[in-house]
Amino acid sequence: MSTSAATAPTAVEPIFNTKPRGLWSTALRRLFHRRSAIVGMIILAALIFVAVFAPVLATHDPTKSLIGVENVQKRQGPCIHLLGCPTDQPQHFFGTDGNVRDLYSRILYGARLSLMVGIVSVGFAILIGSFLGAISAYIGGWTDSIIMGLMDIMLAFPSLILAIAIVTVLGPGLINTLLAIGIVSIPVYARIMRSSVLSIKQQDYVMADRSIGVPSGRILFSNILPNALTPLIVQGTLGIAVAILDAAALSFLGLGAQPPTPEWGSMIGQERNQVFTAPHLIVFPGIALILTVLGFNLLGDGLRDALDVRQRS
Amino acid sequence: MIRYIARRVALAIPVLLGILFITFILNRLIPGDPCRAMLGEKATDEVCDAFFKRYGLDQPPVIQFGYYLGRVVTGDLGDSMRFGRPVTQMLMERLPVTIELALLSLLVATIFGVILGVIAAYWQNSPVDVFTMIFANLGVSIPVFVLGLLSAYLFAVVLKDTPFALPPSGRLTAGVRVQPIAVAWGMPDLGGPARGLLDFLSQMYVINGLLTWNWRLFADAARHLILPVLVLSTIPMSVIARMTRSSLLEVMSLDYMRTARAKGLNESNVVFRHAMRNALLPVVTVVGLSLGGLLSGAVLTETIFGLTGVGRTMFDAISSRDYGVIQGFTLVIAFTYVVVNLLVDISYAILDPRIRLG
Repeated sequence: MSTSAATAPTAVEPIFNTKPRGLWSTALRRLFHRRSAIVGMIILAALIFVAVFAPVLATHDPTKSLIGVENVQKRQGPCIHLLGCPTDQPQHFFGTDGNVRDLYSRILYGARLSLMVGIVSVGFAILIGSFLGAISAYIGGWTDSIIMGLMDIMLAFPSLILAIAIVTVLGPGLINTLLAIGIVSIPVYARIMRSSVLSIKQQDYVMADRSIGVPSGRILFSNILPNALTPLIVQGTLGIAVAILDAAALSFLGLGAQPPTPEWGSMIGQERNQVFTAPHLIVFPGIALILTVLGFNLLGDGLRDALDVRQRS
Repeated sequence: MIRYIARRVALAIPVLLGILFITFILNRLIPGDPCRAMLGEKATDEVCDAFFKRYGLDQPPVIQFGYYLGRVVTGDLGDSMRFGRPVTQMLMERLPVTIELALLSLLVATIFGVILGVIAAYWQNSPVDVFTMIFANLGVSIPVFVLGLLSAYLFAVVLKDTPFALPPSGRLTAGVRVQPIAVAWGMPDLGGPARGLLDFLSQMYVINGLLTWNWRLFADAARHLILPVLVLSTIPMSVIARMTRSSLLEVMSLDYMRTARAKGLNESNVVFRHAMRNALLPVVTVVGLSLGGLLSGAVLTETIFGLTGVGRTMFDAISSRDYGVIQGFTLVIAFTYVVVNLLVDISYAILDPRIRLG
């Protein structure tokens, strides 16, 4: 191979040695150049790690009360042997809650719930929302007016208030919270999808496909959807942060996950009157919530900058 | 201009009707028999038939929606099952508390958000900018209820017996007296809508204190409001700061900014007269949109700080499944949100000719 190259000195050297970069590799490179996005990714990686390995990392059963099992009081502060807590006392990294359960283990398991709530409700909203937005833009006319009118009306409610109203109808519980937050988030994705499809529909390459008789279903899936994906990904990441906040707020109000489910919002809600005597019961789940939401917000902002077409050109 | 306003108002009407329709549907979907929910489990069939007739519940849904519309238009939002009082009456008592809290929070959020945004944009990439943006990122990520509980702990327990101690709940210290404004002004016999308005304002203790020169009331009410306002304004403040920064940065890179500097204008003139005027337009929209968050946040903030406003009442209604109150308050909150956003749109058009002429 090398000898043949050597014997052919007239071969033209390529001007560019690098392969052209695609949208995704460019975006990924830009993402890794942003400090805040990296911080966000590290937080989320840690969170996923905790969620996956919660059974290994946890020291206690998150839903089991330790009354009669260990010599420990309810709402006891953190006790870590390495930091000077007497070794004759049972070790609890974040202390115990009002039902004498290990707070550290509950927070670890809570990561599973928060991630699940965020991803499932936003996934649901993206699926339904982008379907509604796509047919709205594709069919147009009355269908468009009716669907988008409905979306406008839903947007007229502050999201948490509408979610509260929906959960009161469906009844409290984690699944209904997921559903309520999913429903409330639909309009945002429907609007994004509709405007993407409307603008891409007019592009020359779509016109070209249409003129050579490509079926419209295939145009939708192979031309339009991939191009509409960018804004959906950005909004979806930021939307997960909002969904987690709203779900925690609903649980805090007693409408979401019910005890003894280890959900951060409901953990804070249950102990809110104890903030003056046992602040650790608010601080630790609070920090967990803040970090999770911060992680998705930072990653979402980073993705928006990395995928921004205007900046790239 | 008038044509633009008329068009915007006309566009808001279907949305308002839609809100009514959704609250009506949600009302109908509530599980259980409305008669027995209202009158108790032991209500007989005859009593329930009479109840259904009286509220038009024996009619087809379309007619029921008509009745519902008629009731809402005349200000009848139904009754609270728990208190046996009209929802409208409860709203009139509790709305002033929430309006005072929300407006003060919006004011604080706008003033400090814009200042922080301008500072961050002007010294872009400096430590001040980095610090401000870290603050803004944390601000949008902290749940309102966590911030509320932790600040209550900080100011009421940790800083107790220092000059920075603040009351963690309630609206007034015991012993501080509130007089209706009309009485303080020596018009106790005043009646009609003027009295209604004055009584409504009397419930906003800060304004009451100002209008009646009652400094003790004003200072005490303001002290009680510091923590709730701080908590409620954090999210909108962060959003406004980020918006101001990015909008100002975009404007500062435009050609006419270079022109302004080239013709020798001093820096404050360039920033405040040339850049800010254009950069603040998107900020106006964000301020309007923040109201939705403020109304949602009020449910949490008022619950934590024990303020008997719309939000706290909503929370109590949720806890006791008082559907009438939940529906009525949801409706009013959504209506307020739509009307405020309408006003924002109109003010936007006044500020930016491109909108009303485009």
